[in-house]
Amino acid sequence: MNKDVISYICLFVILVLVQVLLMNHIVLFNSAVCFIFIYFLIKLPINISVNWVLTLGFILGLSVDILSDTPGLNALSCTILAVLKRPAFFAYVQHDDQMRNISPTMGTMGFFSYCKYIFTMSAIYCMILYFVEFISYIDIADIFIKAGASTLFTFLVILAIDSLVYRN
Amino acid sequence: MRNLLNFLIKYSTWFVFTFYVLISCFLLIKSSKEHYSLYLSSANAVGSTIFKTTSEISNYFNLISVNKSLQESNARLENEVLNLRQQLSQYQVLAQDSAFLSDKIRFDFISASVINNSIRHPRNHFTIDKGASDGIVPGMGVVDQSGVVGIVDVTGQNTARVISLLNQNQHFSVKVKDSPFVGSLSWRGDDPSIAYMEEVPRHAKYHIGDTIVTSGYSTTFPEGINIGTVMGKVRTGDDTFLVLKIRLASNFKTLGTIRVIKDALKQELDSIRNVGNID
Repeated sequence: MNKDVISYICLFVILVLVQVLLMNHIVLFNSAVCFIFIYFLIKLPINISVNWVLTLGFILGLSVDILSDTPGLNALSCTILAVLKRPAFFAYVQHDDQMRNISPTMGTMGFFSYCKYIFTMSAIYCMILYFVEFISYIDIADIFIKAGASTLFTFLVILAIDSLVYRN
Repeated sequence: MRNLLNFLIKYSTWFVFTFYVLISCFLLIKSSKEHYSLYLSSANAVGSTIFKTTSEISNYFNLISVNKSLQESNARLENEVLNLRQQLSQYQVLAQDSAFLSDKIRFDFISASVINNSIRHPRNHFTIDKGASDGIVPGMGVVDQSGVVGIVDVTGQNTARVISLLNQNQHFSVKVKDSPFVGSLSWRGDDPSIAYMEEVPRHAKYHIGDTIVTSGYSTTFPEGINIGTVMGKVRTGDDTFLVLKIRLASNFKTLGTIRVIKDALKQELDSIRNVGNID
């Protein structure tokens, strides 16, 4: 248990740093940004209480916000994503007592269910984020283009990381 | 009492969720309207440590191009110094009774490096590695070698956060060079190399390619600092004012070394302005 907690803390710090120092500066085609740090929310075990997921999500979003000067933006999106994590997970996986103590991975969910799960999470996150940030500035169509491109980018990067980590 | 507790426990998720959403919304709304605390900006202690360390590493990679541009600007400045010295020696005869030359230099520059930058938000900021201990205060103008880039917003001990020119809430008072027509420059959130000069009088004369410079109507920037060039006119429904499309001179994607402008007369001018406001 303790080992898990430490590894999750390390994952948190590394993801926030990678997001702030690297991913925030990579903008493909002037619209696609990779929100790699939501990988932390995606990876949190399913069985821990929703209150904890919400708290961790909020702290995660706020940390990224403070370091990239967008106060409240990522915190709000992460909080909403945290509350939608369980529904997104169980949309592709049968309710099953054996599934309770796991963190979502390719191995435990199966490749296609896992892909659908990551894609849903990325899409929810990008939609909320771009709607909140740009709604009073640009057209709805542009928001959809930006959100769609970012969803795809985020999805591909997370999938790539997972393929590297869980090679067998 | 027990019922109340049961109720609170049963719906705790909703309370926690609402609580976090309210905090986030509060921060969002507050930050879009006013300056917020140092602790919630990238100029705080943790942020400045992280960004300073990484920029020290990443700065090594573009030393060659920085070196080259510095040498070029050095050569240009040396040339200018020679020219000015020559002119000065001609004018020195007149200097005795000239009211315009004073011993006091009004504008001073503090050189600093950009350690964290963003261009993809509607309201962009960047962080620099000099702060209150170097004499930087909020409200000072910031320029790079090509032109205006922003205004200081929050200062920490050794870092400061700057509102980028690419920030839709920030307007700059500008004019067409060598003409009296003043307008307000703002960015519209799409292309980081294009801004718009609004509220230009209908009868203003301009040519495509004309230089746009600061108007000098504020204590933030001296008059005549380069901003960009006119690309053309934008169609609007308003008949009384023109809107000009401006190509910005600075490249915001690769901001490196910048200078913060210190105005020796700022306090004096601001206090005079405040006296006027009271009346």
